Amino acid sequence: MFDVHEMEINFGPQHPSTHGVLRVLLTVDGERIINAKPVIGYLHRGTEKLFEHMAYPQCIPHTDRMDYVASATNNLGFVETVEKLMGVTAQIPKRAQLMRVILSELQRISSHLLWLATHAIDIGAMTPFFYTFREREQILDLFEAYCGARLTLNCMRIGGMPDDLPAGWLDDLEAFINKFDAAIDEYESLLTNNRIWKRRTVGIGVLSPEDAIEWGVTGPPLRGSGVNWDIRKAMPYECYAELDFEVPIGINGDTYDRYLCRMEEMRQSRRILSQCIPLIKATPAGDIKAKISRVVRPPEGEVYHSIESPKGELGYYIVSDGKSQNAYRCHVRPPSFVNLQALPAMAKGHLVSDLVALIGTIDIVLGEVDR
Amino acid sequence: MQVEHPKPRWADRFLLLDLFEGLKTTVRELFQPKVTIRYPEERLEPADRFRGMFKFSYDRCIACKLCAQACPIDIIYIDVHDEQREVDGKMKKLKVLDRYDIDVKRCMFCALCEEACPTKPKSIWLTTKTYELASYDRNDLYFNMQELEYWDDRPKYTGLPEEEGAPQVEGQKLIAGGHE
Amino acid sequence: MTQAALMHYLVWPLVKFLVAFLIVQVIVAAMNWVERRLLGLIQARLGPNRVGWHGLLQIVADPIKFLLKEDIVPSSSEKIAYFLGPMLPLIPAFIVFCLIPFGPGPTFISARVNVALLLVLALTSTGVYGIILGGWASNNKYSLMGGLRSAAQMVSYEVPFGLSIVGVLMICGTLDLVRIVDYQAHNIWNLFPQIVAAFIFFVSMNAENNRTPFDLPEAESELVAGYHTEYSAMKFAFFMLAEYSSMLVNSCLMTILFLGGWTLAFDGHGLTTEKLVSMGVAGGILGFVIFFAKVMFFMLVYIWFRATFPRFRFDQLMDLGWKWMIPLALGNIVVTAVFVLAGQERLMYWIGFATLGAIFFYLSRKPAPARPAASTHKVVHAS
Repeated sequence: MFDVHEMEINFGPQHPSTHGVLRVLLTVDGERIINAKPVIGYLHRGTEKLFEHMAYPQCIPHTDRMDYVASATNNLGFVETVEKLMGVTAQIPKRAQLMRVILSELQRISSHLLWLATHAIDIGAMTPFFYTFREREQILDLFEAYCGARLTLNCMRIGGMPDDLPAGWLDDLEAFINKFDAAIDEYESLLTNNRIWKRRTVGIGVLSPEDAIEWGVTGPPLRGSGVNWDIRKAMPYECYAELDFEVPIGINGDTYDRYLCRMEEMRQSRRILSQCIPLIKATPAGDIKAKISRVVRPPEGEVYHSIESPKGELGYYIVSDGKSQNAYRCHVRPPSFVNLQALPAMAKGHLVSDLVALIGTIDIVLGEVDR
Repeated sequence: MQVEHPKPRWADRFLLLDLFEGLKTTVRELFQPKVTIRYPEERLEPADRFRGMFKFSYDRCIACKLCAQACPIDIIYIDVHDEQREVDGKMKKLKVLDRYDIDVKRCMFCALCEEACPTKPKSIWLTTKTYELASYDRNDLYFNMQELEYWDDRPKYTGLPEEEGAPQVEGQKLIAGGHE
Repeated sequence: MTQAALMHYLVWPLVKFLVAFLIVQVIVAAMNWVERRLLGLIQARLGPNRVGWHGLLQIVADPIKFLLKEDIVPSSSEKIAYFLGPMLPLIPAFIVFCLIPFGPGPTFISARVNVALLLVLALTSTGVYGIILGGWASNNKYSLMGGLRSAAQMVSYEVPFGLSIVGVLMICGTLDLVRIVDYQAHNIWNLFPQIVAAFIFFVSMNAENNRTPFDLPEAESELVAGYHTEYSAMKFAFFMLAEYSSMLVNSCLMTILFLGGWTLAFDGHGLTTEKLVSMGVAGGILGFVIFFAKVMFFMLVYIWFRATFPRFRFDQLMDLGWKWMIPLALGNIVVTAVFVLAGQERLMYWIGFATLGAIFFYLSRKPAPARPAASTHKVVHAS
């Protein structure tokens, strides 16, 4: 008489908490999730196909728009891959490398601030959103002063940087860094010890280290599960090998640990920035581009290069046929796409209310997932 | 390094101190000055390098078409023809610009065209600090050569760099009064 | 029925009720603006400040919007229940204002009932019907789920709501709201001896009104949209009105039961009811102002909580209600009973003083010093 059957609910593409157009097909039994299948593709714009028709320098603004929250690291990944293909990685001047590191770390802080804002507001805490955006405004102002745009930066070029730093930029950066620790303390006072927050995040979405490696998860979800893997330490690029910072590792692999990892990453990024400022002041001004031709024609070959973007390992695979100015094939390995595959494993057995916490903790950006 | 889970003291658990800490933070924020800029009565002036609306200079342009080549979305339409003109008493073959149109509604303001321009100062530049480009008619956003040089109906900011050069002091300045 | 009796029993209470009702409506309308503005100011932004001086005309603009909006009625909804749904929570929320004394003396209360507390509790409990009807009549699976969840939440927090009052009853010995306030004027605010009960009452108040941290039925970032999804325009406004009205009722109750109502006295010294009544009209107004200030404080605390805390998941919410609040309330009753039987009620004041003192002591301690820039030590979180 009472037949218990599972219900299929659509956590539809239009939803305030999915951070973009993500559809999750939920199979629920009452309120327990049995299976959560993400359905993507609503934001597919054919970026990789576009790359085949544009010259390498023209691709850089398009890489901005994949992970639109952290565009400097997208630019960095592409530019480094092309440089690796051309074999000029060693010729990038020190000042350009330091500028790239500074912009990447600022972008990491900005991306994590946005993550904190949206994650907190999904779980119900409204105010961290506004406080983090206030700090994020300062970072975006720094970006605007350097390259002219706030979100889609287009701030790196193959072989170096487009412009040198404007006058007074480093002083503004230092002023920001000095206030930033107090700001993180403020967000933590609202959330980290809060028993309601802990109830919503401790034990939710546990991902064991073996599972995380099997699924190919990278970035804070991987480190939150206890695996010590950060590309900046494992395969250093730019001048990360000379900088002194630590990589936070989680203990249990639940949402709370991932939250703590990202908060600590923000502090470590701030530490990197404070080390970079005296280093860049010691380099000669104006030396920001390697001596390569304006027309970029890499030799024939293929290369894969990855960097640590705020969401995880962002990789570019470029195949060049040696003759044309555009890539024969450029494939992007987006971190959010691979991390999203772990969602069914993390969501099994939890309630539907936890699904929003889980989507927030993986930190997906649909522009990257769908390209 | 491992993240450290905070260890609550017994006082934290029974006296709900963690909740009160949060309440203390919000009350403190209540009395801080607010950073909201009341647009449109107050506007923030963008940075010197801000990539806004284009401006074009017909006199400086040498019709090399490098900007059209550099554009990732091919929205710069250039028509050039050769002419014999008298320069310094001699007949020289010069390129004359017939058409220089930009389809601004599809532009992503990446400034690759500005970077590619070889003239000093540049013939096309984006540092006009103008971002209020909305219009009611789609066709208003297709700018031809005259409009690109002489558009005048957007908000202007004082101290605009007329020529491309090294940016001077940067920093966000607040001006009251908006639209001039 | 003589003329005097008619005036005394019918006309005069009706007039008082209407005045109280109007004041309440004004306060409820103003609360809309206060909430949005205060929430904004806490969140490092300004609230609505465009419509009129500092946004005050928003209070006028919002009802105009609600009245002029298109009233969409789903075709497959159950019509009678659909129309009844928003009205049912409003009716008890308005009637209760007859029973609540707003100031000293008989002018400030419409109907002086000697079991007023019981009546108020009973009336506020009937507000659940409107939620269930509204959720069910929408003919929407998710509205139904949201409505039932909200109803379950409200019903299960009725129990600690009532149990926490028993401690107050034992100390004051009466169900009459006026006499409870008088008792507090002659001793001390019930907040101190019954601090645990005050806390439970406050938490249950929040849960009853579906306010953060218990606002899961209203949260739009969850899957189930809630019982008022299918309602538009004025019917939705009714639900909102009912919510603010019942917030106001609960704040008034909290003030009367735990904070001494309109009096500002300790051990019979100060502004007791007799003193205020003896001051005539000025005393009445002063008493009303004191009462109003205390009630507004609790309304502001509602908003403060909404700005600060994340929300509970539904099963955690029910957990909290049944497994923590009810045993705590029962424990409070036992402890209070012991003290009352021994005749040593005044000893209980030290419980309140000790708890509040400890909280203020810990909060005023300076936070951990700012971490140095390039630290290589393990992370220590500021707590």
